[in-house]
Amino acid sequence: MTAVIQACGLAKRYGRVTALSDCALTVPDGRICALIGPNGAGKTTLLRLLAGLARPTAGQMTVLGGRPRQDPAFLAGIGFLAQEIPLYRRFTAEDHIGIGAHLNPRWDAGSVRDRLRSLNIPLDRAVGKLSGGQRAQVALALTLAKRPRLLLLDEPVAALDPLARRNFLAMLAAAVADGGLTVVLSSHLVADLERVADHLVLLASSRVQLCGDIDALLAEHQILVGPRKATTAIEKTRTIVQAVRTARQTTLLVRGNAPVIDPAWESADVGLEEMVLGYMGQDAPPAIAHLTTVGEDQ
Amino acid sequence: MTWLTWRQHRIQLLTGAGILAAFAVLLLITGLQMASQWHSALVACTATHSCSDQGGLFLGNHAVGFLVIATLGAPALAGLFWAAPLLAAELEAGTTQFAWVQSVTRRRWLAVKTGWMLLAAAVWGGVISALVTWWSGPDNALHLDQFNPGRFDIMNLVPVAYSLFAMALGIAAGALLRRTLPAMAATLAGFIAVRAVIALWLRPHYMSAITAFYKVTAGHTPPGSYWQLAQGVLDPNSHPVPQPDGPAAFGIPMGYLPASCAPLNDGATKVAPSCAQALAHFRGFLTYQPASRYWAFQGIETGIFIVLAAILLTVTAVVLLRRDT
Repeated sequence: MTAVIQACGLAKRYGRVTALSDCALTVPDGRICALIGPNGAGKTTLLRLLAGLARPTAGQMTVLGGRPRQDPAFLAGIGFLAQEIPLYRRFTAEDHIGIGAHLNPRWDAGSVRDRLRSLNIPLDRAVGKLSGGQRAQVALALTLAKRPRLLLLDEPVAALDPLARRNFLAMLAAAVADGGLTVVLSSHLVADLERVADHLVLLASSRVQLCGDIDALLAEHQILVGPRKATTAIEKTRTIVQAVRTARQTTLLVRGNAPVIDPAWESADVGLEEMVLGYMGQDAPPAIAHLTTVGEDQ
Repeated sequence: MTWLTWRQHRIQLLTGAGILAAFAVLLLITGLQMASQWHSALVACTATHSCSDQGGLFLGNHAVGFLVIATLGAPALAGLFWAAPLLAAELEAGTTQFAWVQSVTRRRWLAVKTGWMLLAAAVWGGVISALVTWWSGPDNALHLDQFNPGRFDIMNLVPVAYSLFAMALGIAAGALLRRTLPAMAATLAGFIAVRAVIALWLRPHYMSAITAFYKVTAGHTPPGSYWQLAQGVLDPNSHPVPQPDGPAAFGIPMGYLPASCAPLNDGATKVAPSCAQALAHFRGFLTYQPASRYWAFQGIETGIFIVLAAILLTVTAVVLLRRDT
């Protein structure tokens, strides 16, 4: 399977502020990739780098077979919708359809009209007068009308009500199933994306903590519950991502699925939300971390 | 992109066109009246051989005359209302994030948008200048003042260059400040400052001025619409004589002259011989740019403002194309 996005060592600094550092990620063709991380983790910066709206300070990336660049052919392949839902407030949806038709080689005006009509969103009203959710629907429909090969959506469902979220994500899944489309969508809520995403990029503290196929990642992780005692033996065969200690027991989120021999430990499968929360707040990927946040053994 | 530029700015552009049309109608009507007034005055004075004395003739209408002088500010209007919001409004509202992810490069987006607006500014400045120049024809012939500051600035080539400069200034201010109102304020302040500095301190030196010395009793008037920079009288030691604020003859305070010159101050026309002898040691001087340099000055000033506009547009392009959004 070819990768639509491949990046390594990617970094972005704004003056003294580090938005991203040393990020490596791969997103294969035809995936719906959830880009998850706490607020301020660098999700927007990463999406803007991928869309060619910002330049990396360091590192390499390949998007749709080339470096993101100012070139009509590259831009035609990318669909990007910023979190702020930028639309010309005084223009109607129909005006925006006209703009898209003039600025894009492939443009599916009919799909926008059909979609907005089915959602009862007026095409002839200034978008500034629509509700936030309606505006988001207009912007999403316009982004899709470009028929991109890679869709980058920054918090696309934040403005939608729960039903609209579900419908939108179902439509996205159907579009990906038709082929030729890869989607990266960001959110700080796992629940938003759990239903449709099959790939995960987890950002926290400006770094990629996890990247890969969701099922494979879940299979690699385990929850271990055991007595409150030293975890040195466990650390030999796996990486402790997170340890929670109470007076009586220790709960560990570990990476590495070698069987547990010590009968004192019980293992359990991990859910996406548990795994993601375990990684949030990490300062560096566990492979190179010193695990200072885990606490000292006694 | 052309379509988008028109769709986004058609209201501003149509407003501008409406103002131009109204101004054209007003100037055409009053201009034709003035031309015929001037023509009949010439016919009348030719008959009476008094054409050298037309100083008291007034042409036209005060309100329209004021409006014509006010076209000094016309280029600034283009900078304020067309140029300053051009990029600032988009950056402020974030709509560049919509435009820049369509299949159009930022470079082309910027080039087409600014290209059409610069053309609009040139047309704006050009049409106003053409109307004012034509309208002022009889007035120029009467007063020979088209080279003077204030008149030089509203006719022929320079208003086009000022408009292009104002447009470039507004666009650059918008790209740098990224907010419409501050960009408008910066455009207005910048335009006035640059225009004033160049008109007051630079323009007199485009070519070294000519100084003519003459007999005070004879006087001296260069031909045509020359631009007077300084005039005065030098005493026998070649020191400038102060401006008279009391009894004087030929611009020389009576204190510098013998008593035999006193009748001149009281309106006598005959110069006493001893007075004439004293006056012969004084020299009048006139520092000026001759009328023949009018077009060279128009060209130099136009060039300066076009170069400034080009610099501002380059800065805009660098800021917008090199920087992240």
